[in-house]
Amino acid sequence: MNKMMLGVIDATTYMEPLHELTLQRSIAAIPFAGRYRLIDFVLSNMVNSGIESVAIFPKYQYRSLMDHLGSGKNWDLDRKRDGLFFFPSPDLNIPSPHLGAFQHFEQHVDYFLRSKQKYALICNSYTVCNIDYRHVLQRHIDNQCDITEVCYQGRSLEMFILETSLLLDLIANRIHTGYNSIMDVVCDHLHQLKVCQYEHHGYVAVIDSIESYFRHSLELLNPTVWQQLFIKSRPIYTKVKDEPPTKYTSDAVVKNSIIANGCVIEGHVENSVIFRAVKIGKGSVVKNSIIMQKSQIGEQCELEAVIVDKDAKIEDHVKICATEQQPFVVRKGTVQGALMSQ
Amino acid sequence: MIKKKCIAMLLAGGQGSRLNSLTKHLAKPAVPFGGKYRIIDFTLSNCTNSGIDTVGVLTQYQPLLLHSYIGIGSAWDLDRKNGGVTVLPPYSESSGVKWYEGTANAIYQNINYIEQYDPDYVLILSGDHIYKMNYAKMLDYHIEKKADVTISVIEVPWSEANRFGIMNTNEQMEIIEFEEKPAAPKNNLASMGIYIFNWQVLKQYLEMDNANPNSSHDFGKDVIPLLLKEKKRLVAYPFKGYWKDVGTVKSLWEANMDLLNPKSELNLFDHSWRIYSVNPNQPPQYIAPDASVLDSLVNEGCVIEGHVEHSVVFQGVHIQEGAFVKECVVMPDAVIGANAYIEKAIVPSAVEIPSGMIVRPSEPEEDIILVTKEWIQANSPETVEKG
Repeated sequence: MNKMMLGVIDATTYMEPLHELTLQRSIAAIPFAGRYRLIDFVLSNMVNSGIESVAIFPKYQYRSLMDHLGSGKNWDLDRKRDGLFFFPSPDLNIPSPHLGAFQHFEQHVDYFLRSKQKYALICNSYTVCNIDYRHVLQRHIDNQCDITEVCYQGRSLEMFILETSLLLDLIANRIHTGYNSIMDVVCDHLHQLKVCQYEHHGYVAVIDSIESYFRHSLELLNPTVWQQLFIKSRPIYTKVKDEPPTKYTSDAVVKNSIIANGCVIEGHVENSVIFRAVKIGKGSVVKNSIIMQKSQIGEQCELEAVIVDKDAKIEDHVKICATEQQPFVVRKGTVQGALMSQ
Repeated sequence: MIKKKCIAMLLAGGQGSRLNSLTKHLAKPAVPFGGKYRIIDFTLSNCTNSGIDTVGVLTQYQPLLLHSYIGIGSAWDLDRKNGGVTVLPPYSESSGVKWYEGTANAIYQNINYIEQYDPDYVLILSGDHIYKMNYAKMLDYHIEKKADVTISVIEVPWSEANRFGIMNTNEQMEIIEFEEKPAAPKNNLASMGIYIFNWQVLKQYLEMDNANPNSSHDFGKDVIPLLLKEKKRLVAYPFKGYWKDVGTVKSLWEANMDLLNPKSELNLFDHSWRIYSVNPNQPPQYIAPDASVLDSLVNEGCVIEGHVEHSVVFQGVHIQEGAFVKECVVMPDAVIGANAYIEKAIVPSAVEIPSGMIVRPSEPEEDIILVTKEWIQANSPETVEKG
């Protein structure tokens, strides 16, 4: 089954409800689960399914995404043949209609023409799950489908398998057919193509708003969710940072939390997700919160239902209490002083 | 090959027999340390941080794990087109197979490797020590002092000087005498086993040493005394900072505990001198609702459900509910069963401590317990009852 599929990740999506977290990054690059970015899940699933050629189609704010992916080495995609490809859109003014925009694919159609893989797998970048696409492909072949759509409880996960030749036809004839994206094709019933559904079992998180980001992040604290996402034989890969182990001082109190490497925890952390190299000062209490990488929480702070984006600094004695329905976001790289929060 | 000013030769073939069963299946430089590292990571990271991009790693004893761990050196940014890491195990030639007999002989047998780079200087290192050191500064010192050989030295307490190779120096830091484990030490500057040689001098003396049938082909025992006898210019380079030979179970445990001391000079969190290691790629650690973690280092992939205090916990360790872990080093993928109690121990990789087992020194002065599978078998209640 190896070398049968191309992986195509559409990273063009912009979602207004995620605005606060995407000021300086694309959705694909949103940090998740303590040490990952959203794209790590789909990318690792592809690699773990034997896919050796992955094309990423980004559109806006992709510096952070490119920095994260590099040569693809961390996903074993630095290959002599195939590997990782990056195909930004040359037209920033034309909004992408739906996932899998054929016009964007056509701008890099050589990739599809040169590839030998018989099938193509098209995915979005913000669906978090652990899935073996080989099973999807097998079903696709066995049932002689033209397009197979992966679903979870009946909802589309925006993952599609089709023959590369069919994809090329759809790209070439898009003006004639009126289908501008793979979503257009799947949602329409007036064509002759056989569209099948594959139901995925296991945990799924679709990140499409701050609220869903927050809720799904804290769901990871449930060990059954955790075990469905982090499977030993199908690891999730990410960019290596070489942080030391996390240090807990004699004042630390940590309950029900996920903590990445390189942190120094001197305060109280409960029901929270703490990313790499975070510092939490003495006497501070962090509850139901997400603290992204390299952020620093001062001493005697109180944070509840807060998302602290990367590289932010919370000064001493700051109190921020929000709700799970409306978590408070401290923007990337900002300083939150004691006076500002009053 | 393009000429290199200085290349490093890292001696990593040591058995480390005093580490008992920890080195049964791996060489001492591959022994886990500090929650996520192996001992050799410190030396390799020092090389890359010092701008030394060509490192020959000499292996011999139990090399399998070490070879696959080092790979092409990418973890330390030593996967280079010109230079980089080369693993150098003993080899056979038409005259037969020759094991490395002594540290100097190991280098002698790899003269061809060194000559490829036509270096001016060769840095000799060992993969047995925990320290952070900028070799570039030592090289500057070597050049400035116009030395033939520069030996890095560290001040040790006078009371312990009889355990080390002691360099007797004059006021210009020139070495006038070398004494291995002197009964009555005249100085307290101990050799750290780190040497910079002018390559032409080293090559000449390696050849001389090789021709001597009475030599044990060891740098400390044979080559350095010979250089002194021949009035070569040997200079001591005083190093200040953390340096520890983790040659015994006790010293390995102590060095791990040193990392928990807030005043320790060995700072793993210093981003300007990172210690690199091969990434195990595990999810972040999970600390359960009833767990408590105090004064400890914990690595990714751990699940902590019990109590951990003043301990170093490696990746993938599972500490189950009600377990109590104090002053321990718990190596990768070990499992501490529910309600087990362990104190002052090293738990080797992948060892499972049965639920409810108690591991602690019976007397306060007793040595650190190495909780191997054999130890568990010998000390489990059923075995004790039967015996």
